Amino acid sequence: MPVEIPKEKWTGQVREVTLGATAADGGTRSHTVTVGGETTLPFLYFEGQMPHRPLVALEIKDRKPDDWSLLLEKAWGDAMAGPGDWAKAAEEAGADLICLTFYLTGPDGEDNTAANAKTAIRKVLDATGLPVAACGPGQAEIDNELIVAVAEEAAGERLLLGLCEDRNYRTIVAAALGHGHLVQARTAMDVNLAKQLNILINDMQLPLDRIVMDPTTGALGYGIEYGYSVMERLRIAALQGDSMTQLPMIVTPGEEAWKAKESKVGEGVPEAWGDWEARAVNWEVLTATSLIESCADIVVLRHPESVRRVHAMIDAMVGA
Amino acid sequence: MSRYIATRALRGATGLVREADEMLTKVIAEKGADTPVAFPNTAYYLPTVLGLTGMEVQTLGDLVPVVERAKSLLHPVPPSALWKPYLGDTLDAGVATLLAAETIEGVRFVRGTQPERWPGFEMGGGTEYPHLEDGHLNGPIDDIQLRSWGIQLVDGRMPGFAAIVGCAKSNEVAVQLVRELQQRSILIFLSGNVNGRSIIHQLQEEGVEMGYDTYIVPFGTDTISAIYALGFATRSALTFGGMKGGQPREILLYNKFRVFAFVLALGEVDDLKYAAAAGAISYGFPVIADTVIPEIHPTGVTRYEHVISMPFNEIEAKDDLERAKKMVQKAIEVRGVKIQVTEVPVPVPYGSAFEGEVVRKNDMRIEFGGKYSRAFEYLCMAGMDEVEDGKISLVGPGFEEVPETGHMDLAIVIRVAGRKMQQDFEPVLERQVHYFINGASGIQHIGQRDIAWIRISKNAAEKGFNLNHFGEILIARFHADFGAIVDKVEVTLYTEPDQIEEWLEKARAAYDFRNRRLADLTDEAVEEFYSCTLCQSFAPNHVCVVTPQRLGLCGAYNWLDCKASFRINPTGPNQPIVKGTCIDPVKGYWTGSTEFTRQASHGTVEDVTMYSIMENPMTACGCFECIVMLIPEANGVMVVSREDPSMTPAGMTFSTLAGMAGGGLQTPGVMGVGKYYLTSPKFISADGGFKRVVWMSSFLKESMAEEFKAVAEREGVPDLLDRIADETVCTEVDGLVEYMAEKEHPALAMEFMF
Repeated sequence: MPVEIPKEKWTGQVREVTLGATAADGGTRSHTVTVGGETTLPFLYFEGQMPHRPLVALEIKDRKPDDWSLLLEKAWGDAMAGPGDWAKAAEEAGADLICLTFYLTGPDGEDNTAANAKTAIRKVLDATGLPVAACGPGQAEIDNELIVAVAEEAAGERLLLGLCEDRNYRTIVAAALGHGHLVQARTAMDVNLAKQLNILINDMQLPLDRIVMDPTTGALGYGIEYGYSVMERLRIAALQGDSMTQLPMIVTPGEEAWKAKESKVGEGVPEAWGDWEARAVNWEVLTATSLIESCADIVVLRHPESVRRVHAMIDAMVGA
Repeated sequence: MSRYIATRALRGATGLVREADEMLTKVIAEKGADTPVAFPNTAYYLPTVLGLTGMEVQTLGDLVPVVERAKSLLHPVPPSALWKPYLGDTLDAGVATLLAAETIEGVRFVRGTQPERWPGFEMGGGTEYPHLEDGHLNGPIDDIQLRSWGIQLVDGRMPGFAAIVGCAKSNEVAVQLVRELQQRSILIFLSGNVNGRSIIHQLQEEGVEMGYDTYIVPFGTDTISAIYALGFATRSALTFGGMKGGQPREILLYNKFRVFAFVLALGEVDDLKYAAAAGAISYGFPVIADTVIPEIHPTGVTRYEHVISMPFNEIEAKDDLERAKKMVQKAIEVRGVKIQVTEVPVPVPYGSAFEGEVVRKNDMRIEFGGKYSRAFEYLCMAGMDEVEDGKISLVGPGFEEVPETGHMDLAIVIRVAGRKMQQDFEPVLERQVHYFINGASGIQHIGQRDIAWIRISKNAAEKGFNLNHFGEILIARFHADFGAIVDKVEVTLYTEPDQIEEWLEKARAAYDFRNRRLADLTDEAVEEFYSCTLCQSFAPNHVCVVTPQRLGLCGAYNWLDCKASFRINPTGPNQPIVKGTCIDPVKGYWTGSTEFTRQASHGTVEDVTMYSIMENPMTACGCFECIVMLIPEANGVMVVSREDPSMTPAGMTFSTLAGMAGGGLQTPGVMGVGKYYLTSPKFISADGGFKRVVWMSSFLKESMAEEFKAVAEREGVPDLLDRIADETVCTEVDGLVEYMAEKEHPALAMEFMF
């Protein structure tokens, strides 16, 4: 008996957003990457299009981390010492995008500075040809200081600048406008707040094709279902034709997964939990792949092995 | 539109265009048409020309069509018989002036006479001219500074810029004007002169540092150099607005709505200044003059008035310094610049964390209101000229002389003014007094209107908290939270008995007026309802439709609150719903509310009534104050309040019922509502109204006894409340039906609910 696969008739389409600029467009990237363009939920090729694969970004810091797992230190080794080497190593590990995030302070507890931010982004841009995202530490004043400096230093590179949040987005958006970049709009797991922030940013004259939404996620076992559901609803609203939700989504499963006890702790845990490293990487990979299923266009990871495995999952899903 | 202004602007423009034309012809003859023309360090050619015409001027020859364009914009001076010269002619003349002025400055750069030389002039930061050794003024702002300031203008840290043209009454006034602007982080551009003296001279003589570092940019001592201000504005639109050269309409609108700039014309206004002013007006920048000139009040091209005349010596004030201050205030008001107040200046910690704090009798320094004294708060709106922003006055003694744990009478009178303020917002704002004052650590505020009750703790008093600080708090918070509708706030605190008596009468008259206004505010009387989707974070498909006669089910948002909320946060959760066509006035179907609900519930709710519990009732999130539920056997409904933990005749407690009523699901026969909806004439009016209530939590009966009594009378059954059962009478259907029969509850005689 022939089985008819039911198909949803969506009317909307996610906007395509291109990150990075090559020399032809006033930047220095070796190539650009594009996300978005979906006319259906992830990988449902029988129903609609998903013209671009989800991207895997690797997060690197502006200095050697002092709060990252030993496992990550082991994986990255000396490359972690500076953002340039690290960016290069991340490119070699197969990242599609480098996500440079800044610490609030320098190694000795002093406030991070605009000058340091400029140096760091310059090193990253010189070390890799990949498109780059740059995020502040999440404290309004310092975020603005650092990201404005980054925007200036990397003028024309079409970086993805973050984090724009409802209480602090204007300066970063202004910097993106002034220097030709994109922004990452983060809201706390809420469809309407996400939509509202998009409206507010767009209202400052930044075109919608220069905004990527970050609806926020939790790690596997730490609220991922909440984030999953919000992302799914955002995307369904987009496909139903709500133009202010028709933006690609970026989430940070790496940061979240490595905060989970299961990845963080290697000792004093039940034996049934098995090998620490395998478990930690699994945690990150499962978090990331679940989020890709719930419509993430960019996942930001931390472990190189996770990148390989998430790529493998995407390959399998797109039938590559 | 003033014919006088039109005439003079046209004359000024004609003169300047001619001058530009002659200068250009001469310089081309001398240096050749291929000679490069450029402003320093900019990628925008001659920016105003680029923006308004799309022409990318690179050589002297490129300027010829610019001058031609300027000429084409000149119209004849209006003859004396024409009484209403078309505003457009004047604006065209303004644009012609800008094109001519930029042409002239371009030529001057070629000739090496720009930037203006000023031997010995020192600036703290400015556009760099490596070939110039001795002093000079700034000339145009370079792109680097444009981006740096632009970011601050776009993100709102810098509210706008003031282009000052001319010369102030005295050096003292010049300094004061600049200080007033600096205090508000407004960028200052200087140009022009009166009889050879410029405000730049004045500031220099007074030792005021000018330059990028101090946000004061001296462009030049002639009016023509004011073009650099508009070049800056134009480049803002090109850089931050994403516009391209040759999009004059978009660029001008961008400036009108996003660049909060204005012109201060100091001293005599000559033809050229009128012409340049007309150019500024095209950008939406109003002109405030300190001399007698005709005013242009109607709004349109600018957001508010176009031209304001404030003859300096006639400004009511005690001295020139205060006059300068008032002039700046007026300018800010005319342009609609919003100033941000960030901190609440009180000697105790301040924040919402302190809102719930209780001050016990033993820890108390003093109280106002409560058992032993009177306290009330009254907020009213007044005209823009009647309110002095930031002013706090205390009429009568402070509490310093009152013994510890004592009490005294207090009236807090707040007067607000705002271009977007409406009388309907008065109660909405007044209710905020409670939250604002409570935010101070060691201060307790209870109640509102004339039942307000405030305590100040010993601790707070020891830290120096006094009555004036109430004013500080209110002014800071109204600006910060309600800046969208409030431009000016003034607070007066009365402790003087006669004054209190007098104001209490005024306040009570206002309270009474507001009550009646609320009673008159019916669903039929308005064009719009408001949505509330605040709760979609946890009930993703629920939409509240808030009408004048049906407040939000949480009880926190009535129609006026939503209206104010929308003004304050136009992209927020409260959006106007235009009612549209009424499909059924009894059940309450409108095309607008149905369409909005369908869309905002993401298709979950197909249809919604405003006044029925039986047919397509409104959904609920979970925040409802009470649940109304059909009891079929009783031919009526029961109302359970969330404070009531007991069993109900429906066989379920409030918490069990809440699962059925909430979550954005439409369940005929069950509805979550705000308790004040129970008293509305529109309460399930399609199903028979309040007479359908057969059972009600005793908590509600008692806490709203007065209100329900009025409702019972309105419904024609004065003793209705006695006939309604509660949990002390029965918690099951049999007992309920018996009780109803015994009391002859009217629902028994009504038609069947389904």
